[in-house]
Amino acid sequence: MLIWKAWCKAVAVSVLLLWASLSSAQAVDADKAKLTLALATEPPTLNSAVATDTIASFILAHLMEGLLVYGPDGELAPGVALRWELNADGARFWLRDDARWSDGKPVTAHDFVFAWRHALSPKTASQYAFIFYPIKNAEAVNQGVLAPGELGVTAVSDTELKVEFANPCPYFLSLTAFMTFLPLREDVLAQWGGRYAADADKLTVNGPYLLNKWVHGARIQLRKNPQYWHADSVQIKEIDMPYITADPSAQFNLFRDQQIAMAPLDTGLLSEAVKRGFDIEYFHTGSLFFLEFNFREGRITANRAFRKAVQRLIDPALLVNKIIGLPGIQPAYSLFPVTVKGLKAGFREEYPVMRVTPDIAAARTYLRQAKAELGISEIPPLMLLAGDSPRALQEAEYYQYLFKTGLGIELRIDQQVFKQRLEKMRRGDFDIVAAAWGPDYDDIMTFADLFASWNDNNRGRYNNSLYDRLIRLAQNSNDPRTRFNAMAQIQRIVVDDVPILPTYENGALYVQNPRLRGVRRNIFGGDPLFRYAWIER
Amino acid sequence: MELSVFRFARRTWASDELEHIAPLPLPKMATPAVVVSTLVVIALLLFVSVGPLLWRQDPSQQWLSQISAGPSAPHSVRLILNSGPWQPPAGEPPQTLMVHEANTEFVRLQWPKLDGVKRYRVYRASAHKAGLGLAIAETDKPYYQDQLQLSYQIYRYTIADADTGLLLLARDVRPDAAMSLFEAQLQGLVPVGKVNGRQQWLTLPGHPLGTDALGRDILARLMAGGRTSLFVGVVAPLLYITFGCIFGAIAGLAGGWVDQLAMRFVDFVVALPFLLFMILFRVAFGIGPGENGITPLIVAMLMLSWPGSARLIRGQVLALRSQPFVEAAKLAGVGTSRTILRHMLPNVLPMILVAFSFAIPQAIFTEAFLSFIGMGVSPPTTSWGALCNDGIKTLLSHPRQLLLPALFISVSVLAFNLLGDALRDATDRRAGVAKA
Repeated sequence: MLIWKAWCKAVAVSVLLLWASLSSAQAVDADKAKLTLALATEPPTLNSAVATDTIASFILAHLMEGLLVYGPDGELAPGVALRWELNADGARFWLRDDARWSDGKPVTAHDFVFAWRHALSPKTASQYAFIFYPIKNAEAVNQGVLAPGELGVTAVSDTELKVEFANPCPYFLSLTAFMTFLPLREDVLAQWGGRYAADADKLTVNGPYLLNKWVHGARIQLRKNPQYWHADSVQIKEIDMPYITADPSAQFNLFRDQQIAMAPLDTGLLSEAVKRGFDIEYFHTGSLFFLEFNFREGRITANRAFRKAVQRLIDPALLVNKIIGLPGIQPAYSLFPVTVKGLKAGFREEYPVMRVTPDIAAARTYLRQAKAELGISEIPPLMLLAGDSPRALQEAEYYQYLFKTGLGIELRIDQQVFKQRLEKMRRGDFDIVAAAWGPDYDDIMTFADLFASWNDNNRGRYNNSLYDRLIRLAQNSNDPRTRFNAMAQIQRIVVDDVPILPTYENGALYVQNPRLRGVRRNIFGGDPLFRYAWIER
Repeated sequence: MELSVFRFARRTWASDELEHIAPLPLPKMATPAVVVSTLVVIALLLFVSVGPLLWRQDPSQQWLSQISAGPSAPHSVRLILNSGPWQPPAGEPPQTLMVHEANTEFVRLQWPKLDGVKRYRVYRASAHKAGLGLAIAETDKPYYQDQLQLSYQIYRYTIADADTGLLLLARDVRPDAAMSLFEAQLQGLVPVGKVNGRQQWLTLPGHPLGTDALGRDILARLMAGGRTSLFVGVVAPLLYITFGCIFGAIAGLAGGWVDQLAMRFVDFVVALPFLLFMILFRVAFGIGPGENGITPLIVAMLMLSWPGSARLIRGQVLALRSQPFVEAAKLAGVGTSRTILRHMLPNVLPMILVAFSFAIPQAIFTEAFLSFIGMGVSPPTTSWGALCNDGIKTLLSHPRQLLLPALFISVSVLAFNLLGDALRDATDRRAGVAKA
């Protein structure tokens, strides 16, 4: 018996020791230039032609390199393209001849032509196909009307790429840094077919890192790519992500135990992080949260006076300061977040937005007007479609209370998971929806054309001919002043006609290991970016 | 030879043996556990029924100026009319960190513009805690208006150089209790429309247990939540135990193929998964999102939880049917209904009572669990389970918001269980013998 017990103890101790040695992976290891992180979820795919989510964008930003990339200060910098030329009719790119794929073959202009045609092919069914539409014939190719060969992209030689535009696209350079514009190898794609990029050995990359290991649902490991043309500048040799968990508390605990180098924070963890004396960092994610109204036939929310009443009732500042209560999150008053660039400085500095002051008396006056216009004496219960995160529910309960006490309207909360919410938004199964939009490329148009009548993401089916005309005007113009003047008018329409009610501009709070430096938090082009990071000793 | 007639010896009963035969007295009902649990149950019922009459606060009223506040007594606050964006008045910049105005709606800070500093970082901490606290903002201007969830306590503000991290200025600030005009109008403390230019003071009610993450009074919410929880806890068992008893009694009395059929049906119902059917009932009832799920909850419990009591009662009825006293009654020509009423029911009733008292805590717990996972009540209605669900989000910073409703669930479940235990002891004579 005694021997048995002693033996048990020995085994337990050795197992513990083994466990300790296995999990002794440090958050940052200066000697090996190694970094350990946690991943929120596994990327659904790493095929750049069909990927849509932020996790895939983050990993692809480390694996691949497009024509242009975002540099250490968030500026556009040369990637595979050495120099370029952009005008109203098209663009030309001259590629560097030392860019290599991970198997040693050179990256050529043909790889880009193939990738873009592939992404636009109706068979690929890429959700981001629309982002190519400024290119000549892109829309027709995507709808299968024209053959892929008709797309306005040609490889003049192995190192020269020519792009023709359908209409002027002053923001095309920032598009080329987007993940759907990344090059693809025709032979590799043909070899793996539908299984392309499904495993670590089923893709070829051209960026600073190689996908060394991918254990589905458990671990992703990136290692420095020796074939990368600028490999000397990559200082972190290994990025290990052995934890995949979306739970912020779990990630925070890992950070606290020095297992990972970065962790996001939410409301509940904030005071804990302050108490432990961690440096709390935040950055503006560039995304806008808003309430979107339904303009379909027979909806109360299609009435302008009703929307104005809601606008006078909901104060973004009150929501942000009292309900959300996180620093770094800013109240929103415009369709365009403060991060959107204008002529020289920020758009919002050049074209300030009119701020509507909350006023219950005015809101009730508008509501009376709305009832008179609709010919009803009582507003029926309205459906608020909201996300399933704790913050989304809290926000929804706040709106519910505001509507009840401020306007006497019953608001029912329809909480749905992300996919289901998108589906209900698409079907128009809501009166008001708490939605959000993150920018895809570094231009004001990524927000502006959202509520054009032809945009699929205009879930409320807002249809305003003036709005549409202004978007068309901006899309067909290459003159920045004309474009931004049109945008200023759009900003005014959004305040005046209330197709949406902006609520807040999101900020992300996180803690980071102080020895890890130079990490880029990007709005575009993969976030966070460790390409330029280093570890201090 | 005369054989003595064999006779049984006359048995003399020892007095201690007689006691075994004499009917045992029923175990005493008034054990401390029973008294305490009964009192707790009564207290809980009073809490949810009379409580809201005494504590007249709306459980869904959100005091935006008192988010996640601790226990407080009634107090008066200043009415703030201008809580919009702010810029310091033109004039001489201050020599040091200056506080223009400080109340719980905003703290307006201004500091001298320092050479070589491009961006300032503003930290805020509780004055009695060490450290810089939370970096609330970064700005390139030498002033800042802090409006971020201020509460009535002393804060220490620190201004630092955002680029170098060098600490520049610091100061303790005690904001006055205040409320914005918008909120005062929303809460109905100030009439809408007429804006009185003069400064006003408002009296706010206290919150003995504090407020939750949306500024709602926790005491009022516990009362409102308890109503839902105890309503489900009593009504659902009442319905399904009644149904189960009738079903079991019919099966037991009828016997034969009816009994067989009924019991196979019971086996079938036992096999149905509760959670799945709960969701199906929601769909079947056409309970849209955002509507209350109390009715489908009770119906699902009624339709899925009755087999236990049906089996219990059927077994008891079968046993009673072959008892001599029932057979004697039959022989004597007593009718079926009178047999049931006179002989069966009194013998089954204690069992029903016990089953009922054990079903209540189970139902309370089921409701709490379903509300916790978001399948039960929907806001603004609440229950103890839903309160726990709200509270778990702020567990680290304000554990009170989870622990209080959890305590109420635990206490009520324990009290009803103890009561059921005592009731079983009191009615089950065999158990009584074992104990004696």
